[in-house]
Amino acid sequence: MIRTQISLRKEEFDAAKREAARLGISLAELLRRSLRGLLPAVNQPPWMRFAGAVQSGDPHSSQRIDEVVYGHKP
Amino acid sequence: MAISREAYCDTSALIAFMDASDSHHALFVRLFADPPRLVTTSLVVAEGHGWFLRRFDQGRALDFLSMIEACEPLAVISVGSPEIAAATALLRRFADQQLTLADAVGLHVMKVRRSRACWSTDRHLRLTGVPLVIDDT
Repeated sequence: MIRTQISLRKEEFDAAKREAARLGISLAELLRRSLRGLLPAVNQPPWMRFAGAVQSGDPHSSQRIDEVVYGHKP
Repeated sequence: MAISREAYCDTSALIAFMDASDSHHALFVRLFADPPRLVTTSLVVAEGHGWFLRRFDQGRALDFLSMIEACEPLAVISVGSPEIAAATALLRRFADQQLTLADAVGLHVMKVRRSRACWSTDRHLRLTGVPLVIDDT
């Protein structure tokens, strides 16, 4: 790891802190993930940058798509 | 007609790939890293976009569409009247199953294209005999 220092606008900093807290990760990890999303990964096809782009917190999310998209019967 | 070497890609495979929390995430990351020719339908794309809209927000939903655009081995088939008619017949045949129209169109596409594999975590998609990729692991 290389330590570095960056400057953010207050509103960017606050929004990033909120998002990091929502995901349960550190601000540094949020910024690393954001960079990985922007930079082309070495020797990887372009669509691979979307792998793990979200964290729903649900280990069965891919098996509950219908519940989310179509909803429950009343 | 020869058995196709392509695989059908269901909404659940795309969600498992993009959602790090999903229990099948690691499998689909490995599969998407070196995929065969893949085929999906416009209904799957709409369903996936809807999932990201409902579960997250417009930004993440656009990321999903960007993934579809970026994934060159993935062909998206348009769904028109012939596909809807064939899917309706399948929905009648499997009326005891909780199948969506997107699922039924997927089953039809796999039959017509003689797909040899189905990338899905939805066990309904093995109704017509095409094995799910999660069964191989």
